[in-house]
Amino acid sequence: MEDNASHLKKFQKELSAGTVSLVLLAVLGQSRQPMYGYQIAKRLEEVGEGVLSGKQSALYPVLRNLEGAGLLASEVEPSVSGPPRRYYRITKPGREVLRDWVDAWNATRASVDAVLQGGV
Amino acid sequence: MNAPRTIAEYLSQLREALRGADPALIQDALYDAEEHLRAELAENPRRSEAEMLAHVVGSYGAPEEVADIYRDQEIKIQRALRPPPPPKRRSVLGRFFGVAADARTYGALFYMLLSLATGIFYFTWAVTGISLSASLSVLIIGLPFIVLFFGSVRVLSLMEGRIVETMLGMRMPRRPVYSVPQMGLMKRIGHMFTDLHTWTTICYMWLMLPLGIVYFTLAVTLLSVSMAFIASPLALALDHTSFGDLIVDAHPLINWGTGFHDIGWFDVTLLCAIGVVLLFATLHLARALGIMHGHIAKHMLVPRESN
Repeated sequence: MEDNASHLKKFQKELSAGTVSLVLLAVLGQSRQPMYGYQIAKRLEEVGEGVLSGKQSALYPVLRNLEGAGLLASEVEPSVSGPPRRYYRITKPGREVLRDWVDAWNATRASVDAVLQGGV
Repeated sequence: MNAPRTIAEYLSQLREALRGADPALIQDALYDAEEHLRAELAENPRRSEAEMLAHVVGSYGAPEEVADIYRDQEIKIQRALRPPPPPKRRSVLGRFFGVAADARTYGALFYMLLSLATGIFYFTWAVTGISLSASLSVLIIGLPFIVLFFGSVRVLSLMEGRIVETMLGMRMPRRPVYSVPQMGLMKRIGHMFTDLHTWTTICYMWLMLPLGIVYFTLAVTLLSVSMAFIASPLALALDHTSFGDLIVDAHPLINWGTGFHDIGWFDVTLLCAIGVVLLFATLHLARALGIMHGHIAKHMLVPRESN
């Protein structure tokens, strides 16, 4: 049984490796105002466990990568409660990339569903 | 390991769990964790710090899990963001000329040219700041000035780190130093002075002036000399007299150690070949200096792991 659990964990990790970037980009794409890391984590928590099978700490390095790639932009604003918060918002190239990614996701999901339902 | 009861405890456990990792990575991880934990605390003001942390271990991750995630991510980022390493060349010739295909070479070369400007700026900033801090310290505005100056040093340290990472490919912090929380204002200011990292940063800013001058001079001199050598056939073809001071009776002369003679096609071809070799040697030198400077920057700008 333990073996199965570790297989599942590995699979979830591999799945989320690809989807976390898409989900983060989508959340920021839908949001009207810039969001900071903690807000995004809470938003994903509301959606449920599935989106982020891992821990929320995994979000921050991904946000930084997306920013490094120019898909997100960020600015720091001071906060009363702790270190200054970094607010992220999606950039124009980010929106274009998101559109491509959503298409790719839909195509993948459709074909995976087709296989799983025995349509092949 | 005990469950952390305060944010400071959580962060020190995270630091412990990341021991041995890249100092720049540790700085980023601590910054992210503190931002998240403080946001969590502010969101639920009625919960105590210990309760909040018990909850956070489930959502954000226990210190060891977070450490694993960051280590894991770092490997992936390095693979994704670095330019692909140039193909390994076996032959001596291939290794010598292959330097031109390495992206790091040009980054380093550009950094050498830029370092004069940044070096002058850092030096001026550090010297002016230190002397004004010292002389104003007898006045009431001295303290705010000192705090502002030390703050600016941290910002400049982060900025230089970004330049070094972009141009020289050395992993540097992407977030500012995580400051020791829960201290009074005076203690915090005192900590700025006793913090070794602040002083190594200021030393780096001083050091950048001489280094910048050396880098800039080397780059400009070597590049222009090798370019001039490479272009010498062109000069001979276009205009005999452009060989300058060595003209005797309207003939430019050259001496390879066997006596003076008129410059001919053989001479300029040889000069051109020397120029090409010199140019590639310069590229090698730039890449080597770039790697060396990356290490200098990392040692002086990124705080070491401390206990």
